[in-house]
Amino acid sequence: MVDEFGNLWVHRLKWAYLLLIVFSLMSPVFYVMYISFNENGFGAAEYVLTLESYSLIFSDKLMMTALQWTLSLAFCTTVVVVPMSILAAKFYKATRYKVLTVFLLLSPLFVAADIFGAALLVYFKNLNLMFTSVAEATGLSFLSGWFELGFITAWIGLIIYTIPYAFIVVLITMGRYRHEQTEAARACGASGWRAFWDIEFPQIRPGVFSACAFCVILCFNEYTRTSLLKGGFDTFTTVLVSQMLNEGMSNESYAMSSFVSFTAIAVIGSIILYTLIRSESLGQVARAKAEPNMAG
Amino acid sequence: MNGSAPAVEVRGLSKHYGSVVALREVDLTIGAGEYFVLLGPSGGGKTTLLRTIGGFHKPTSGQVLLHGVDVSNQPPDKRPTGMVFQSYALFPHMTVAQNVGYGLSLAKLPAGQIREKTEAMLAMVGLAGYGERKPHELSGGQQQRVQLARALVLDRDILLLDEPLAALDAQLRKDMCLELKHLQEKVGITFIHVTHNQEEAMTVADRIALIADGDLVEQGSARDVYEAPQQRFTASFVGENNLLDGTVAAIDGEWAEVSTPGGTVPVHRRGRTVSTGDRVAVSIRSELTRLEPADAALDPTMAALDGAYRETVYLGLVSAHRAALADDSEFMSRVVASHDQPSLPDPGTPVRIAWAREAARLHLG
Repeated sequence: MVDEFGNLWVHRLKWAYLLLIVFSLMSPVFYVMYISFNENGFGAAEYVLTLESYSLIFSDKLMMTALQWTLSLAFCTTVVVVPMSILAAKFYKATRYKVLTVFLLLSPLFVAADIFGAALLVYFKNLNLMFTSVAEATGLSFLSGWFELGFITAWIGLIIYTIPYAFIVVLITMGRYRHEQTEAARACGASGWRAFWDIEFPQIRPGVFSACAFCVILCFNEYTRTSLLKGGFDTFTTVLVSQMLNEGMSNESYAMSSFVSFTAIAVIGSIILYTLIRSESLGQVARAKAEPNMAG
Repeated sequence: MNGSAPAVEVRGLSKHYGSVVALREVDLTIGAGEYFVLLGPSGGGKTTLLRTIGGFHKPTSGQVLLHGVDVSNQPPDKRPTGMVFQSYALFPHMTVAQNVGYGLSLAKLPAGQIREKTEAMLAMVGLAGYGERKPHELSGGQQQRVQLARALVLDRDILLLDEPLAALDAQLRKDMCLELKHLQEKVGITFIHVTHNQEEAMTVADRIALIADGDLVEQGSARDVYEAPQQRFTASFVGENNLLDGTVAAIDGEWAEVSTPGGTVPVHRRGRTVSTGDRVAVSIRSELTRLEPADAALDPTMAALDGAYRETVYLGLVSAHRAALADDSEFMSRVVASHDQPSLPDPGTPVRIAWAREAARLHLG
């Protein structure tokens, strides 16, 4: 809300400050993007524009395999996390213990990534030991190997990591939803599920899609937990980090970093743009409703 | 379904939220085709009762029977009821026609039939031609009409209305009140209407039940509730009544003398059993009283209390004269403004407030 009696230049200064902060934070990323298009790489005196580094990523078998694993993890995590977040947000709206619910759901964020990853690593190793012992003792061989480090353990780690973010995103859109509409649908003869699917879901759909996008981006960006829990396969980020640590920043590394950043910015940017357009459209609706209507 | 059973029967219904008692042992019977109003102050339990009848709350104890069938444990979509909410209950992502036809589509009616019934119902509520609009393009009154159409199109024979006019402005509320009444007469189904507005209740109701503090205080026709309230609460909530608390000082046949801090007043017992010393209350409707000079001769058919004139408030149709009784409690007399006395006494002037002896009503407890 703009203070109509405020100084216009103070208002402009605030915006300039905000943009400066954003630019300062993002400038290293922009610089990496800039280098990724230079054929001569970092520090070269001459800048030669090229897309070759990007084509190298997509022709690199190791990289493509890592990308497939990352996409699989992102897909499986999203499929589990988004419905869980919707259920959690619905529970939050219904419960009297809102602060406790939020605290419990956000608690994974309060633990440092490496500590959480290490804790899960120990936990899964012990769990695996226990299941293997039970399998050996009982002869139920199918029990062994469930919690060996691999896709499932990395998946669980990512579920725990992404659920607070998805919950918050869904909750924001669900906050605007009026429960009377569900009751009205029930009064029309809809079951609980139909009322949700026909009436509530279409109204929280932007939040659900945003939560999906966040999940995918977070799965792409996550390194610490995944590297500790993934076992024998590699993800996009673990390959990138390991290449940087072992070989230094190559042109391909710059391109990989930029590719991930471009994707994230594009997705988040689209969400923000969509949200702004939607807010404006809802604002117009609200203003239209506020107009006096003499029709009765 | 039992054809001879009442449309709604509530037996010993209680609803608790932890230690909070929202409804306490409520018994109620509503006949088929009746326009029944649940009236009472906010937080009294009337909406809880309506929502329990509709299946939106599960009773803590007691039963809800619709047409003789116990539906206490059935969800709203399994009950033969429709519901109109106070506001915000239209589906904003659907058009008006889709809103009205939603229940029909759930019932899997053919598309042509849905369209036909929807159009007919929109015409009935005065919204023909509005089917393609979105809810936000309608005024508050029109939105409530859409809700009505959406509930009525389902052909259910009990319609629950939860403060349906509360969000509308005063004039629109009056117009819609009459429309609701005429609509109910036209469709002939049972309407159960919750409101805290007594004028709204009187306009539409065949019968009114007063609900306060989780109790069903009293029920009866609108005229009975207004003119002959049984309970002190009813007298305090419905109409503008002067309430005098006191004790029975003497009994003379059908008449009791009640001693109040403002003076002793006679009141007809109307068959009620009281004894000397009982704590009772007397109510007198303000429009049945009049302010007189303190030294005016008192007609033997009248009763009166002495007081001091305070002020007169002009309310348009009526003027309200306020006087202080001997214990400094206030007594009000309302008269049609155009019939009011031309000159008013100065504040503090001794006056007499008089009423016909039969106008006073006795309330026990």
